[in-house]
Amino acid sequence: MICVRKVLYTLELEEWEVEKIKNNALVKKVGFNRVVLFCVLILMYIVFAILSPTFLSYNRILSALNYAYFLGFLALGVTFVIATGGIDFSIGPVMFCAALISGSLLTKSGVPLAVCLIISILVGTVFGVINGYLVAYWNMPSFITSMASMMLAKGVGSAFTKTQSVSWPQSSQENGGFRVLVKVMTGSGTQIPTGLIFLLVVAVICAIILNKTKIGRYILCLGSNKEAVRLSGVNVKKWEMLAYVICGTLAGVASIVYVGAYTTVQPGLGDTFNNDAIAGCVMGGTSMAGGVASISGTVIGVMIIALLQEGILAMGFQKDWQYVITGLIVLAAVYADVRSRKRKN
Amino acid sequence: MGEVILTMNGIDKSFPGVHALDHVNLEVRKGEVHALMGENGAGKSTLMKVLTGIYTKDEGTITYEGKEVEFANPREAQAAGIVIVHQELNMLNHLTVAQNIFIGREMMSGKLINDKKMNEEAKKLFHKLNIDIDPTEKMGKLTVGKQQMCEIAKAISHDAKVIIFDEPSAALTEAEIDELFKIIRDLREKQLGIVYISHRMDEIKVITDRVTVMRDGGYVGTLITEDSTKDDIINMMVGRVIYEEPKTKSNVAPDAPVILKVENLNAGKMVQDVSFELHKGEILGFSGLMGAGRTETARALFGADPKESGDIYVNGKKVDIKNPMDAVKHGIGYLSEDRKQFGIVVQKSVAENSTMASLDNYMNGIFINKKKEAEVAKKYVESLSTKTPSVDQLVVNLSGGNQQKVVIAKWLVRDCDILIFDEPTRGIDVGAKSEIYHLMNELVAEGKSIIMISSEMSEILRMSDRIVVMCEGKKTGEMSISEATQENIMHAATLRN
Amino acid sequence: MGKNEKKGNVFTNNPLVRAIGTQKIVVVLVIILLALLFSIMSPSFRKYATVVSIFDYSYYISFMAIGVTFALITGGVDLSIGTGMIASGLVGGYLITHQGMPVIVGMLASIVLGLLFGLFNALLIAVLDLPPFIGTLGTMMVARGLGSILTGGMSITWPAASVPQGWFRSIFKLTIGNVKFPLGFIIVILVVIIMSTFLNRSRPGRYIIAIGSNKEATRLSGINVVKWQSLAYIISGLFTGIAGIAYAATFQAVAPGTGAGLELDAIAGAIIGGTSMTGGYGTIAGTLLGVFVMSLLKTGLPFIGLQANWQQIITGLVLIIAVLIDVLKNSKRA
Repeated sequence: MICVRKVLYTLELEEWEVEKIKNNALVKKVGFNRVVLFCVLILMYIVFAILSPTFLSYNRILSALNYAYFLGFLALGVTFVIATGGIDFSIGPVMFCAALISGSLLTKSGVPLAVCLIISILVGTVFGVINGYLVAYWNMPSFITSMASMMLAKGVGSAFTKTQSVSWPQSSQENGGFRVLVKVMTGSGTQIPTGLIFLLVVAVICAIILNKTKIGRYILCLGSNKEAVRLSGVNVKKWEMLAYVICGTLAGVASIVYVGAYTTVQPGLGDTFNNDAIAGCVMGGTSMAGGVASISGTVIGVMIIALLQEGILAMGFQKDWQYVITGLIVLAAVYADVRSRKRKN
Repeated sequence: MGEVILTMNGIDKSFPGVHALDHVNLEVRKGEVHALMGENGAGKSTLMKVLTGIYTKDEGTITYEGKEVEFANPREAQAAGIVIVHQELNMLNHLTVAQNIFIGREMMSGKLINDKKMNEEAKKLFHKLNIDIDPTEKMGKLTVGKQQMCEIAKAISHDAKVIIFDEPSAALTEAEIDELFKIIRDLREKQLGIVYISHRMDEIKVITDRVTVMRDGGYVGTLITEDSTKDDIINMMVGRVIYEEPKTKSNVAPDAPVILKVENLNAGKMVQDVSFELHKGEILGFSGLMGAGRTETARALFGADPKESGDIYVNGKKVDIKNPMDAVKHGIGYLSEDRKQFGIVVQKSVAENSTMASLDNYMNGIFINKKKEAEVAKKYVESLSTKTPSVDQLVVNLSGGNQQKVVIAKWLVRDCDILIFDEPTRGIDVGAKSEIYHLMNELVAEGKSIIMISSEMSEILRMSDRIVVMCEGKKTGEMSISEATQENIMHAATLRN
Repeated sequence: MGKNEKKGNVFTNNPLVRAIGTQKIVVVLVIILLALLFSIMSPSFRKYATVVSIFDYSYYISFMAIGVTFALITGGVDLSIGTGMIASGLVGGYLITHQGMPVIVGMLASIVLGLLFGLFNALLIAVLDLPPFIGTLGTMMVARGLGSILTGGMSITWPAASVPQGWFRSIFKLTIGNVKFPLGFIIVILVVIIMSTFLNRSRPGRYIIAIGSNKEATRLSGINVVKWQSLAYIISGLFTGIAGIAYAATFQAVAPGTGAGLELDAIAGAIIGGTSMTGGYGTIAGTLLGVFVMSLLKTGLPFIGLQANWQQIITGLVLIIAVLIDVLKNSKRA
């Protein structure tokens, strides 16, 4: 986690004041790092609002949220994989592949909406199974395996729609009802960001899984010390694979929210989202070495990335600044993690 | 034997809580092969680490070639002519033999490396030592024996005057050992001083001129090999006073049921045709020196490592153990030697580590019953006197000894009938040790059965009802506690064939 | 513990086979097989123009792959080569088309930018000890944005062959009369020979291999591991810059935001050619052969009716198989 003391120093808080904050009960429950991160989020918003007054509009927030929804699901999924000490670079393209396949079935083959939504999720699950199987049972390095399956996802999605893009129906049209998952228009024309509720609900479920169930326990433990867990008589291969299956499935869910917010899906894209999702995840305190993960951190991290993206657009900078800044964020977060591990040893 | 080339005098070294070297002396002459012997933990490798500069001594002097020296690191020692050939060779497997030998000081022709010249030089080197190795062969493709010879050749090429062999024959075949001895004799002829660390009695007799024996970090004495017997040496190695009461007779009735039977277990060189039985309520001590194959046997039995053949019977029924999951299912638990690497999950709490092997029993539907988990963790924190502020403390913050207790708790929570403790009290202070002994006695009183692998003679004699001794992969001795003495255990532990 | 000397069989013990390396021979056979397959299934494949096209596509991948081989040999990886190449090509071209610099300056700028990326990677991985895949991932992201920012987000087209400034294109493709001659291939071969010699016969190359084989043992032998590990990534960066020139020379335009994914072709090529992901082993010649397989696939698949998306699927499958073989090779050795 980014050197919090240094940040607070610059804010000129006294040492004892810092300790007082740290000992507050609520802070302890949520995690000091998360609190800081949340403050960063608020601060960012204020800075953007000052620099660009359009930021104070509700629409801006909605626009940023649209980006945050699908990114949030992707990041939640990849949190599980990173917790095992691995990585999944296929999530963005898998999301697109799922949207392309099920969208094509919906609009061109008349498959019912509910079935298409399920297929979306299943496509993600299938890729999760492939990644998980290769990594857990064949001992292949996760970064290269997931990059290869990323290519597969790009190719399959594109081949399925014969390189055409796919547009999902609007909410007013038939079969557009799924969009309530993302936004609901009230009578007076204001939009309720139901997507946020959906994301938070799933985030809470993920947090429960990670912290209170067997799956989560084993995933975190094997990320910390796979051999110790194996020698305790646990089927580590199964649980490691499951992490990837969860990740793939959530990528499938992400595809639904993506088309809910953006309507059109183009084949061949998606890998920038990988980087954003991973950045949100490591910023939130999930360690690349495995064993430590935070769902709340991931969610806040994703919000920061989404806000950043929106802010860059609002201030008229090139979108490319987002890539540069996200890249630097990832490097800073991983470096901080590596250093704190070295110090602990 | 020529004049003295190296003297270590009154070397004293302590680590927090451990007096590793207690005024140890060693004198090596030119043209001599000097054996350094002692049990595990006697301090042999610590002494060598002090010599080569890996550790700094607290007291004492090292005199080399008439001058007092203190090396800051192994490279300084190597530059002066003192080289260790380690047991675990650290080679560059993808490079050739010649390339390995001359790494860092390659022979050039202009700007390019002259591999041809290096090969020739290496060949000359091998010729001088009467070694038959092709310098163009990739290091990774050689047998361990040949790799070791390359290491020796490398040392010679650095103009070594003192070579220390740390358990050199452990991984060699008989034929390779003969070749090694030829080389050592040759080196002796060339007036090098050679330190030979080993526990193999017969080898000591064959190749060494003098023997220095260490025990529990202290210097016991030096003998002339020719004039000494195996018994003399063994007496020096183990002749300690044991303050704790050794057990005099087994607590287990001779007709107690056999709860675990292992027949003809084979797993590579370290486990050769090992068979033994474990009775209900018994503590079976596994004694032997380092490299005896005890841990390997336990791991093969537990399914942690693959085995080639062997039958395992639990309670009379044959069982198929292919992995740790199978073993745990059949009621076997294994507490590994190296707890940090294999025993605990550092990022997790005491409570979470305690239920690692039994999580299925602490569920509430699909949720983990954290309350129940905390309760059972607390129970064992108390009974083991684990020093931790709470069961939610991350184990990474505990001291080594307390981490060990958490690992023990893990297997106790699982309630295994058969427990394999591999060096259970290593690194634990005296107070905690007796707590663990007390616990083990309680467990067998409840009807559990324990295999205790230990390198501490006093521990073996104090706790075991029966003792199995291993040496280099084979079972070489079995005795009940009433027949056991330090001497006959050590005899079996050094018995090769 | 003890290891038996590898026995091998009649084929692998043949001295010529051992000198070249079994994997490379298999790859050559694969190339021949693929070429035959495509030729048989598609008459239009058999044209000379196709051969030129195959070579065209191979240049930039070859340079990327030669560079990343060094990173792989140290047991690491460089994921920034794709976007780094595009960034270098963008910046170099920008200086030519928008700042009126001569082409040679643009080419130099491309190389320098590649070197800078390499230095950055070296800092992250060799000095700060970040895991290579995440360190170079960060660089990849930064490079992706940076190239585009520096050139204002536009696509850049380096001078066409028809104008006098377009002379650099004939380094790669020489047009004599009506015949297009893939001169670039000769250049690539020369580079392969130079870098192969560097890897196997120079001290830095030797130490790079040693680091990949056993970093700790190398350090204990008194070698400056940080320095030489850095060099591997600097070389990778250098070739990223060179690849940028090759890319610009063989394609119409360099478009910002592209490049991600190209690094996989290069890495796949290196692994197919026998470079081990765990480090310590790799040949430049093998990498070139592996790149050829990828290039052949990329160009040939459309001829049998499989479009771009199938190329991606096949690239993905080929990569999985190549890494799987590498993993199996290593587990057998252990």
